[in-house]
Amino acid sequence: MKKRCDQLEPLIEAIADGSAQLSVDDAAHVASCAICSRRIERARAIEGLLAMRDIAPPPAAFTHTVMARVVQERWKAERAIDLGFNLAIAAGILVIASAGAGLLWSLGMLSITIDVDAIVRALDTSGTGRLLSQVQTVAMSAVLLTMALGVWWWAEAATD
Amino acid sequence: MRATPEHELVERCRQGDETAFRELVDQYKGLVFALIARSIANRARAEELAQDVFLKVHKGLPYFRGEAKLSTWLYRIVINVLSQERPELATASLDDRDDEDRPRVQPVADDRAFGDLVMKDRLEKAIEQLPVQYQVLINGHYLKGMRYEDLAEALNMPMGTVKTHLHRAKRRLRQLLETEYR
Repeated sequence: MKKRCDQLEPLIEAIADGSAQLSVDDAAHVASCAICSRRIERARAIEGLLAMRDIAPPPAAFTHTVMARVVQERWKAERAIDLGFNLAIAAGILVIASAGAGLLWSLGMLSITIDVDAIVRALDTSGTGRLLSQVQTVAMSAVLLTMALGVWWWAEAATD
Repeated sequence: MRATPEHELVERCRQGDETAFRELVDQYKGLVFALIARSIANRARAEELAQDVFLKVHKGLPYFRGEAKLSTWLYRIVINVLSQERPELATASLDDRDDEDRPRVQPVADDRAFGDLVMKDRLEKAIEQLPVQYQVLINGHYLKGMRYEDLAEALNMPMGTVKTHLHRAKRRLRQLLETEYR
């Protein structure tokens, strides 16, 4: 008897929702078995409760809240990009300023007052080739930085 | 008013049309909220999680290739969100052997509790204890308009397996009600 109950146990839900039919033998067993008939009764009760569960409607302002969060998320992402870009620009300016300062220092002209005559003399004495290569590097950095700034302003203008 | 066809709506959303996304939220909020609210008892938290689902949809839309139905993709996101919320249930085994390890309680004579409001409350609590996939199966199956095919696609299971799992989920529910929530 117990063995029959264990055999039927995995089928209880299918029997309760009507997707499986009891054989004549099984039906006779269920009719005479308190355990199996109670299991089926409970499974049917659960089936009925599941079918009757309330469907909670979303709050009235749900769509509005989602849209507000979408805007907020986009704003956060843009702010992160802006911050990254500003940091990159600051780093670029720092590099160029350092390179310029290095160039002046290498020419021995790093002083508060700029003596134009000294620059001319330095050009004569230190060799224009060496100076020109460094000036080219600094100038190229400045051009790249200007282009990056230009792209940024263009992107900002396009977004607005 | 007729709803916009799904592929057209998705395409407009992909192009950054906010009105289309608003329409998409309006169209699917009932389904998403019902699925989540049936698993998460705290209504405020359920609302927050349902919003998270749509934020993920918004982020993922550029990568959505339209091979699956939008609703299928939504179910998957719901499963992921619920799994993150209840990690202990996300990895819970769906294997039937677990049920066999569970101590069996012989039914008692007093079954009056079945069918009343207390039973309803117990049922909700028992559902919360199910693995996330079982919760979505139960919650989804008993929502109007949910088909076995949709559930099978969302859960990446053959249809026969969906039916088997649904029966196992209900069996586990019955066993939970017989033991922990008596």
